[in-house]
Amino acid sequence: MQKESAIREPLILGDKTYHQITEDVCAPVEGKANKYWYMAFSVAVIVALWGVGCILYTIGRGIGVWGLNTTVDWAWDITNFVWWVGIGHAGTLISAVLLLFRQKWRMAINRSAEAMTIFAVMMAALFPGIHMGRIWMAYWVFPLPNQFGSLWVNFNSPLLWDVFAISTYFSVSLVFWYIGLIPDFATIRDRAVKPVSKMAYSVLSFGWTGNAKAWIRFEEVSLVLAGLATPLVFSVHSIVSMDFATSVIPGWHTTIFPPYFVAGAIFSGFAMVQTLLLIARKVLSLESYITVKHIEYMNIVIVITGSIVGVAYLSELFISWYSGVEYEGYAFMNRATGPYWWAYASMMTCNVIIPQLFWFKGIRRSLITSFILSIFVNVGMWFERFVIIVTSLHRDFLPSNWGMFHPTFVDVGIFLGTIGIFFVLFLLYSRFFPVLALNELKSILKSSGDNYKKLHHND
Amino acid sequence: MEVPSEYPEVGFMPLMCQHCNHAPCETVCPVAATTHSDEGFNQMTYNRCIGTRYCANNCPYKVRRFNWFNYVADSKFTNLNPAQDDLSRMVLNPDVVVRSRGVMEKCSLCVQRVQAGKLAAKKASEPLRDGAIQTACSAACPTNAITFGDINDKSSKVRTDAMNDRAYHLLEEVGVKPNVWYQTKVRNSMQTAAEPTA
Amino acid sequence: MTKAIYALYDDDEVMVNGAKAILAKNVRIKDVYSPFPIHGLENVLGIKWTRLAINAFLYGFTALALALAGMSFFMIQDWPMNIGGKPNFDLYQNLPAFIPITFEFTVLCAAHGMAITYLIRNWTLPGVKARNPHPRTTDDHFAIEIDRTENAGVSDDEIKSILQGTNPVEIFEK
Ligand code: SF4
Repeated sequence: MQKESAIREPLILGDKTYHQITEDVCAPVEGKANKYWYMAFSVAVIVALWGVGCILYTIGRGIGVWGLNTTVDWAWDITNFVWWVGIGHAGTLISAVLLLFRQKWRMAINRSAEAMTIFAVMMAALFPGIHMGRIWMAYWVFPLPNQFGSLWVNFNSPLLWDVFAISTYFSVSLVFWYIGLIPDFATIRDRAVKPVSKMAYSVLSFGWTGNAKAWIRFEEVSLVLAGLATPLVFSVHSIVSMDFATSVIPGWHTTIFPPYFVAGAIFSGFAMVQTLLLIARKVLSLESYITVKHIEYMNIVIVITGSIVGVAYLSELFISWYSGVEYEGYAFMNRATGPYWWAYASMMTCNVIIPQLFWFKGIRRSLITSFILSIFVNVGMWFERFVIIVTSLHRDFLPSNWGMFHPTFVDVGIFLGTIGIFFVLFLLYSRFFPVLALNELKSILKSSGDNYKKLHHND
Repeated sequence: MEVPSEYPEVGFMPLMCQHCNHAPCETVCPVAATTHSDEGFNQMTYNRCIGTRYCANNCPYKVRRFNWFNYVADSKFTNLNPAQDDLSRMVLNPDVVVRSRGVMEKCSLCVQRVQAGKLAAKKASEPLRDGAIQTACSAACPTNAITFGDINDKSSKVRTDAMNDRAYHLLEEVGVKPNVWYQTKVRNSMQTAAEPTA
Repeated sequence: MTKAIYALYDDDEVMVNGAKAILAKNVRIKDVYSPFPIHGLENVLGIKWTRLAINAFLYGFTALALALAGMSFFMIQDWPMNIGGKPNFDLYQNLPAFIPITFEFTVLCAAHGMAITYLIRNWTLPGVKARNPHPRTTDDHFAIEIDRTENAGVSDDEIKSILQGTNPVEIFEK
């Protein structure tokens, strides 16, 4: 039995037993939803439907219904794509990287963070699809055999790297998440009384038995998948950033992008986890599992990655001047002072200045300030992508090509719509899936549970 | 440079695809819909295009144009697009395909004329004569400001023009090695080029 | 006659100590069912560590070779093109552009190959019936399974009395 220092704050509060953990986590699945859930769900469904409508309109009529023009060929579509991919980084980071580093506090949040990852990556994957002029030809991005024999894809294109990176990331995260879910589905299955849910969870749990050999394999698979997913987390956003970094456009063509994007992704991902979990712990009464200590740990990650992002912004500015490249210098001057100065200012405030408040212990341990600050970060990171994409494009080499981007109602509708779809999925998840990793929590109860820690302390 | 009137020294410059030898638009296409031809053209394969518009973003000259709508049928363009009624449709060039919605297009340097010219020379079993192929723009320009030809042909007019002192590449510093040369405008002005007038 | 005798425990430490005691009496344990992985149990039961990780490596290695071979076939042999003036004549010159996809494909195949192997080895697939002896072994109880055929020399009563000595909450046959 592994013992933990008594000085460390317990990760599971209250007088919990193994059975009590099961009860607490299964309660939302087995009980009835309250009216807040139904209210939130209806709002999300309406927004999602509106988004679906806008998407169908785009597919039916053409990309021209967006605010794009010859100067700005990518705007909200790719902004949203990068934003969602970024959000989708926290889950796998929490469950894979923190697993390798044996950070036990991950166990209370990894399941939901990973669910969030998966839903966010789904939303992200939507955009490269619908932003295509001919979405019905989307399968052409795969190197499929065809009647021309020698017609293949271009493996030099960063966009193709993206296709592989996003699909690998999505499917590996999904598998990782599901393998962890199987034993927990088995728990719900063995407790289910209604025949329908018994059936459903039997199928979902794949007939999990939980014998000794299975658990050994389970641990090995988790470890190796974590090992594989860790470089994956870092590679995905690096590759997304290469869409920009390998181009020739001033403001995009920057070698700093891969690390800067990865830090930004973790930053925004943790902020989104924070936003969702602060609500979820309240609504699903999981206060003893997602404790203030967990919130604090996440805020520490936010302030660190936020500072990395801040340094990246400043070094970009410095290098644009120091390099002496006129185009580069102008691109950054224009970012800060040009027609989109307000986007740059919002980005700087929300991403660099506001998260610094987390250096104060009181702010980082308070639920309300954590929630408000996490929203700021989410907004700021959206602006970061908008600034990178739109302000770089709207003023590039030749002044005769300069233009502006004005979003249409379809742009806005699709963006809001994906937020709606995301919440629909997340709300459904919180009703039907075990929101905490039961089996993992039980394995740390004796080393990190409040009551057990007190017990060990006394003997 | 935000206010053009402060820099009144402007010139007219036709700007189409520069057919870069190191075309940044080509490397970024995921489906290899835009590649380089043996003639040195940057060619656009319309029916392979899936419309990611990445090439248009990555073109330093921003010369690529996207088919945002289905222009031949969309009601928004009935009054603008002659191709929407049967009679006016005849203005369209029968040698050029009509691009569908959602694909990228750009200047092809009249690839249909080049192919026809090559074919004619082949049929006559003689080498391609300089000036035998004219693009639509070089044929139309009344002052012969546009010259089209084979840059590898040492005696061609386009070669001599490209080699003279006035020839330059637009945005040469980006390093995309265009196949289009411009001739700098000779101004009869007292100012040196560095300081703006006014 | 039922095949196996089970002892049910409500604590992992009690169960592990029980398993040690049972094995000390030369009774063979067929399996143990628990709601979460118990570290060190494999040493007590003498189970060999799984070789799944080696599998993952093999899948990954195959994928790496496949990705490189595929890309050099597609881009260099089958239909070489001049794309942006980038050299497209041999694998060495093209390698930098192939690294991202090679890496992603390696991870993709290693992860999925391993996951599929894992599911098949555990026989956990959609539609498979669960074989755990007691519904609470997925909640908070731990079961030790003693197979009669494996312990032909020991009588039922002996087994049960040994089990009784290990503080189980329940002993049952199934
Ligand atoms: S001018 Fe633009 S479209 Fe033409 S080859 Fe160069 S980058 Fe491509």
